[in-house]
Amino acid sequence: MRNSFKVAKWEIKRNMMNKSFIISLLLTPAFFALFYFVPQLFGGNDEKKMIDVFIADELGVAQDIEQLVKDEQLHWKVHVTDLSEDEMGQQAALEENAVYIPLTEQALNDGVVQVYKGEDVDESFLFEAYMLEAPLRQLQLDQLDLSDEQKNVIAKGVSVQQADWQELDNGGELLEDDNDPLKQIIPGAFAAIILFSSVMTGMMIFTSASQEKKEKVAEIILSSVTPGELMQGKIIGYFVLGITQVIVWLGIGLPILAWKSDLPIIEYLFVPQLALLVILAIAGYLLFAAIFVAIGATVEDMTSTSNFQGLVMMLPFLPLIFIGPIIGDPSGIIAKIGSFIPFTAPAVWIMRLSLLEEWPWIEIGISLVVLFAAIWLVMKAAGKIFKIGILMYGKNATPKEIWKWLWA
Amino acid sequence: METILTVEGLGKSFKERQIVKDISFNVKRGEIMAVLGPNGAGKSTTIRSIMGILYPDEGIVKFHQCEAGEIPRNKIGYLPEERGLYKNVKVMDMILYLAELKDYPIKKAKERALHYLAKLGLEGKEKVSVEELSKGMAQKVQFIGSIIHEPELLILDEPFSGLDPVSQEVFKSEIKELAQSGTAILLSSHQMNMVEEICDRLFMIHRGQRVIEGTMIDVKNEYANFKCTIRGENEAAVLERLSHVSRVEQKGDVSIVYLNQEVVVPQWLKQLPETLSIQELSIDRISLHEIFIDIATDRHIIKEESASHA
Repeated sequence: MRNSFKVAKWEIKRNMMNKSFIISLLLTPAFFALFYFVPQLFGGNDEKKMIDVFIADELGVAQDIEQLVKDEQLHWKVHVTDLSEDEMGQQAALEENAVYIPLTEQALNDGVVQVYKGEDVDESFLFEAYMLEAPLRQLQLDQLDLSDEQKNVIAKGVSVQQADWQELDNGGELLEDDNDPLKQIIPGAFAAIILFSSVMTGMMIFTSASQEKKEKVAEIILSSVTPGELMQGKIIGYFVLGITQVIVWLGIGLPILAWKSDLPIIEYLFVPQLALLVILAIAGYLLFAAIFVAIGATVEDMTSTSNFQGLVMMLPFLPLIFIGPIIGDPSGIIAKIGSFIPFTAPAVWIMRLSLLEEWPWIEIGISLVVLFAAIWLVMKAAGKIFKIGILMYGKNATPKEIWKWLWA
Repeated sequence: METILTVEGLGKSFKERQIVKDISFNVKRGEIMAVLGPNGAGKSTTIRSIMGILYPDEGIVKFHQCEAGEIPRNKIGYLPEERGLYKNVKVMDMILYLAELKDYPIKKAKERALHYLAKLGLEGKEKVSVEELSKGMAQKVQFIGSIIHEPELLILDEPFSGLDPVSQEVFKSEIKELAQSGTAILLSSHQMNMVEEICDRLFMIHRGQRVIEGTMIDVKNEYANFKCTIRGENEAAVLERLSHVSRVEQKGDVSIVYLNQEVVVPQWLKQLPETLSIQELSIDRISLHEIFIDIATDRHIIKEESASHA
């Protein structure tokens, strides 16, 4: 094991000093940030601009409106004007960034308030203008001379909604927080990032093993360590690199997210459930790392890789086909099938657990046993392939040869 | 001299084909032992079996400092035939990694690395990236990597191949020096002149089996007999009838007459018939090189020779 750590240390050091690794390490979050911020830069400008809102206040609600604008933090600058409705229409055509709203008795009686907006004012202004409905409605009701009780009944209206009998069974005591889907999705997303990142660095194991073979270093290294130690060292080393990647990404990403959004990300992230999700992500890494290191040891020339090796390299992307069905029904039969196939289990579980409110612990348990048994088997097989493959110079191994090594 | 390594009855097959069969020899402290043989004879297979990189089907590899079946990796230096180094690392980092894998103290390794880099003409190259080195330079770096941890046993698979004559000389004197300081050295080579100059003992294999074994002096006495090269038109039958002749080879008007061990050269020259056509005549010993070629091309003089001595 000590030798494995020496190999791991070397792989980490070698990559950390490699320019392309550093560049990808820093550029990936930069790209994400770019994709996140650039649309905001283009779309966000108008929102910040103050809109001059002119109100013909026949109804005497100007003060209420100003208060509302303040409460809702709208970018409105409210002016009171004496212009008639016709004049307002003409004025709106002239001014680009102004809105004219005639709050007249007539409008109140008709129940329709016209909004004259300038050319530059966004369509979304109308949604903001909906908030005028409440005070105007109140005004309508006031004019009807109804009792307070009657007013309340009318103001309340009638709504139809789904009864949540499940929560009632639990005594109806569930906190509102538990309904927040983000509470589950955030740890899930975190685990997914670990899985993604470690599978990507897992691909680097493939390159590393194949390079070792191509550059013919393997034999020198194997005069000091056993093939098993070399393989383990690579797996550990690239795992650390993958985790470093995650830490750097999150180190940059989390503060930005926390600053840009109001979500209590840190609070949601560090929950006990995260432990299981991270175990799943690590299990996924170990499985694919073992496959990659073994396949890497059978490939010397990447340009002439056979279909077989290419197919194996696609295995980590297998869970993609489950995304649709899982989002549709996280407890459906397809989701369940995906949970028991070792190659898809980590990603499928991360998706399912992010969506399911009640975790199916028995299913999780059985699936974990299957997954770890598969990891053990794959590691064993990888060891056998690696041992022979890494020293076979000059050609790529055929699937037939690999099959034979497995049983050697 | 203390024996460091013993190989006994080593055998290895790939598929149905026997690559090496019943190979036995030992390597002693302070001695240079050569494993010789043409391409595909089984030299690298033998060496890889010793290093535990291949598992022999039969036979024993015993390192005398430790228990049977155990390979004292930290006490062995190994320069494989298939040479390579990580490309995108600095020379010093590469050497220190190899030292670290052998559990050798890093500080001492650094000093030794600088010493050897200077000695092999690579002074100031420690911070250069490996990919910038020429083939010969890279081979020197690998050589340093294999001796950085002061191994008790140094195994060199074709150490001279791919080197220019100057570097060959440097390697030769370095290997000699290591042996003098007590390192047991096992090397394989094609270059007979090199082997002749530095080895104490040799072991020649062909088709996976031993053909010649012994100290350099014994082998030379036994096999490096005289041969007489004559230019002129002569019939082979006439030459074969001369005394002490074991074999005659003819190519155009050049005849090579191989003489056996008992020959006394002046006497033999005296009894040459006057009817022989001689444009040129020379007498010299069969070199190790010729013995090697002989074996590689299956001309069997060795068998004849050894049969006549048996």
